[in-house]
Amino acid sequence: MPMFDSVIEAYNHAVFDTDRDQALEVVHNAVAAGISPEEIVFQVVLPAMDQMIRSLEQEGGISLAQHYVAAQIADAVTSEMLTKFVNAPEIVGHVIMGTAEGDLHSLGKRIVTGTLKARMIEVTDLGVNVAPERFVEEALAHDAPIIAISAMMVHTARGERGCKRVRDILDEQHLGGKIKIIVGGAPYRFDPDLYWSVGADAWAEDGVSAGKVIADMLAKEHS
Amino acid sequence: MTTGVERLTAAVTGKPADRIPVFCNMFDQGARELNMSLKDYYSKGEYVAEAQLWMRDRFGYDNVWSVFYAGKEAELFGSHTMRFAPDGPPNVEDFVIQSDADISQLEVPTNILNHPGFQEQRTCMDILAREAKGKHVICAYVTGSMSLAPLLMGMDKWMELLFLGDPGLREEMLAKSHEFLVEEAMAYRELGADLIVYTNPLGSTDFVPMKFFLEHSLPWIEKDMQAIGTEGVVYYGGGARINSIIDATRERTGIGIWYLSPLDDLAEGKRIVGAKNLTCGGINDIKLMGWSKYEIRQEVKRLLAEGMPGGPYLFGTGMVPYNVPDESIAIMLEAVYEHGRLNGDTSL
Repeated sequence: MPMFDSVIEAYNHAVFDTDRDQALEVVHNAVAAGISPEEIVFQVVLPAMDQMIRSLEQEGGISLAQHYVAAQIADAVTSEMLTKFVNAPEIVGHVIMGTAEGDLHSLGKRIVTGTLKARMIEVTDLGVNVAPERFVEEALAHDAPIIAISAMMVHTARGERGCKRVRDILDEQHLGGKIKIIVGGAPYRFDPDLYWSVGADAWAEDGVSAGKVIADMLAKEHS
Repeated sequence: MTTGVERLTAAVTGKPADRIPVFCNMFDQGARELNMSLKDYYSKGEYVAEAQLWMRDRFGYDNVWSVFYAGKEAELFGSHTMRFAPDGPPNVEDFVIQSDADISQLEVPTNILNHPGFQEQRTCMDILAREAKGKHVICAYVTGSMSLAPLLMGMDKWMELLFLGDPGLREEMLAKSHEFLVEEAMAYRELGADLIVYTNPLGSTDFVPMKFFLEHSLPWIEKDMQAIGTEGVVYYGGGARINSIIDATRERTGIGIWYLSPLDDLAEGKRIVGAKNLTCGGINDIKLMGWSKYEIRQEVKRLLAEGMPGGPYLFGTGMVPYNVPDESIAIMLEAVYEHGRLNGDTSL
């Protein structure tokens, strides 16, 4: 449908340009023209994020700010559209999210949370400076199969009270098969092998990609 | 014996030297050197200066630093709580800007040289100037106008203000950051800093899109440089890549020293910087933590092969993490000293 294609293109353009107001205008005009709220989320917002990931893989040129704004737009559009869905969407999974103990950097976590909402993945955000024990307690309390740990500093990414300890607790309680860990943050970009050495199951290079990695992990879980 | 200052001068002016200049940027390691906690270590300028001089003497590289930790700049604005760790730099725990209204009320510290919050850095600089001036390159660290706000409000709030917020408020924040940068850079120069490392992650396309860089980041870099002058200024992305912004920034500012990220393509960066300016940087010191002796030596050789041809090159680390073993540092430096020899004076 030509109109639908033009909506996707206009929305993508606004997102890449970090223009939230323009992106929201595109969405509102599209809804007014008859595109359903469900189509907006699943056929505009999600493909835009996937396009961003493809651009990153092909050109390596998407900035942190573009990830941040894309996630904020996705969050805002999804929140608004969800109130207009004909049927409540199926939640595809639950993630426990926080920064590693000692780490107070919250931007990465915020980007990932925004992208997950559009993917119908529920997030329990534990905030910053989260004790490893709490990650596991909350995962069990919410029956969440994924713990996502953000760490922006080398000592919080590699430290004994970060992902390593979460892994130890999961292993001690024989939960490794039930709960997976994903990590992200600058140190993992500098050393892409770091994730496995701290006991994580996966890592993502940036916030928008993290949404897809988590969605893929949940899909694998359900298959 | 050739000094670090002579090696750097030779690199910048194209004169002969025994080897390329080598910067090893160790900060938190000073606490280990003096066998004290990071919190105690950073409490006194004497400790920082002493450890910087000891580490330089022990390893033989060419620079010393007056840096404590990045949050020191936030302390000058009134931030009181740093969260110290046993094995890494402290986090700013209380941001002085919590709301938009705080930006308008933010008071930029003036007369930094006599500011109570600057006295330990001043003591450190005084010692370094007395002990190292003219021998080892004395480096000071300042944060570019576009990149100071995250220390005062957190990165999320700054991103929000930059891209989704009130442009007037953004400019007000940037103007105050600029005012501070000028005060701080001038203070370090007056105290004897040889190089001002201008750190600007938000002047990298890893952080902001190129369009935003050209429209917003670059004009503020230009303004910063017009105010402080480019002599002895090193452009550093704080670990973020800078290859894509070098041409435009050099054209508009005249900055002549470029400190690349380990994630930059060094050969490409060297081509962009060219023979007339100094290319710095190289090793990925996060990976250094886990590399074997063989891997370290191979990586050093690879970097020197890319960095040394076609103009001056300074081998450097990023900000070496606390837990990188001394042995790895020594292996890295030995390899640089061996393979970084030049055809000038070889009285190493």
